[in-house]
Amino acid sequence: MMEFQHETPASLYGLDLGIPLGDRRVLIADDSRFNQRTLTRFLHWAGITQVAFAADGTELLERMESVRPDLLLIDADLPPIDGVALCRVLRADPRWRDLPILMQSARNTDQLRTLCFQAGATDLLAKPVNPGECIARVRYHLERRSMVQELRAFRERVERDLRQARGMQLALVPDDASLAALAARNGLSIEPVFQASDEIGGDFWTSFEIDPAEGDGESRVGIFVADLSGHGIASAINAFRLHTLLTRTLPDDRRDPARLLGLLNQRLSDILPVGQFATAFYGVIDRAADTLLYAAAGAPNPLLGSQGGFRVLDASGLPLGAFGGAQYENRRTPFRPGDTLFLCSDGLTEARDGNDAMLGEEGLADLVEQAATAAPDRPFPWLMARFAERFGTSLRDDLTALWIRRDAGRGGGACDKGAFIPPSD
Amino acid sequence: MDFTVRDAGDSTEIRLHGRMTFSDHDTFRSVIAAFERPAGHRIVFDLSGLDFVDSSGLGMFIIARDTAQKKSLDFAMRGARDEVQRLITVAKLHKMFTIDA
Repeated sequence: MMEFQHETPASLYGLDLGIPLGDRRVLIADDSRFNQRTLTRFLHWAGITQVAFAADGTELLERMESVRPDLLLIDADLPPIDGVALCRVLRADPRWRDLPILMQSARNTDQLRTLCFQAGATDLLAKPVNPGECIARVRYHLERRSMVQELRAFRERVERDLRQARGMQLALVPDDASLAALAARNGLSIEPVFQASDEIGGDFWTSFEIDPAEGDGESRVGIFVADLSGHGIASAINAFRLHTLLTRTLPDDRRDPARLLGLLNQRLSDILPVGQFATAFYGVIDRAADTLLYAAAGAPNPLLGSQGGFRVLDASGLPLGAFGGAQYENRRTPFRPGDTLFLCSDGLTEARDGNDAMLGEEGLADLVEQAATAAPDRPFPWLMARFAERFGTSLRDDLTALWIRRDAGRGGGACDKGAFIPPSD
Repeated sequence: MDFTVRDAGDSTEIRLHGRMTFSDHDTFRSVIAAFERPAGHRIVFDLSGLDFVDSSGLGMFIIARDTAQKKSLDFAMRGARDEVQRLITVAKLHKMFTIDA
């Protein structure tokens, strides 16, 4: 043991070696056997045991793939390609773009040093190489590389997690097939756009049939749209909480929008921290009565389109989960065959274009009117295409938009996508 | 968002400027630090310099109100305009907050 003491890294000037580097590989390109041995000894003192060699530039390039070094030590005067040219070749290859390359040179002119850095060298060692400086520089670059790799791995993991979470969020909303079936059964067409932002957020919407109460005739269709405050994972988790709470509600609650929102508010108030909440709209389409019964909790105002054009519905109300005991108010409006209900989240109204101008509620109302006039057969795709033209497709916030239309009545002719209209309608 | 704090005896006026959004949570913590005042002290948010709030901003108002309640402070807001006023109305916050004329 004593024999090794003076050779152990810690003994060199009492240097603190920091993180262990035993698993790091260094490739030395130097044509002098003496230099190879000297540098290897220095590297051992630095705690690095996996060292490979190349006698010239050609050999170095050949060995790169098999050795997969974490750091290169290159002699600037290497034959036949000199170190500077070699450095350029390596940097041109994406695999070695951020590999630490230390050049050593006996010619320490400022011009050569500048040339080395321009060629992509990470650092320079002057020959004769001093052990202390060599160890410090090698360790510095290897540690830095470890940290960058760790950060990159962490970032990749977070991105993967976010992608997965985004997938789960997208799966919360009705799938196309069951939505189309529900719409067809109820004489509706429901076109959704639901896009989770890169950072994921807290939008959530769903639609379901509500069984008729006894002696109450036909089933109704509930439409629920919510946006949890904030951004990122926290608001996505809150969206899942709200979804769970909603699935536990009973038909009696679902038939009465104000009651449903009151209930959800109470339950959310119990679990959400102060300052977190959901804005929401909940509407019940009753075809037998030709009405939309709805209650709202501070959602963007819906637009209701009928023969005379679109008008704004009032969706004001205390956000869900912000104030325990909040009461909500039912509002009723005619919703006849051929009428349209447009719902959205603030991802649409608060979108900003290249000039930082916001669409706003009025801007949106204009756009909806234009869509109905310019593309009466397919207003919603037209609307979203214009939106994407102005605001792009990379979203800062989640975006939910629903275009819901009652099929025109018998003799109306404008039967959407051949949806089956029950004769009783 | 920026803010300025002006103390005058038993009341404090906090003026908020610019856009109040999700990214202002840290700034808002400093705003809340100005709530370290004795019970009964009056704190007023002057919103006249505020151009925009998003839902996170509304959440910050609610946090301010909650903090004031816990410390028995007399908390009010005033001066909301345009988009900020509209969002406060849509969320019916005027029913839950003291709004000074």
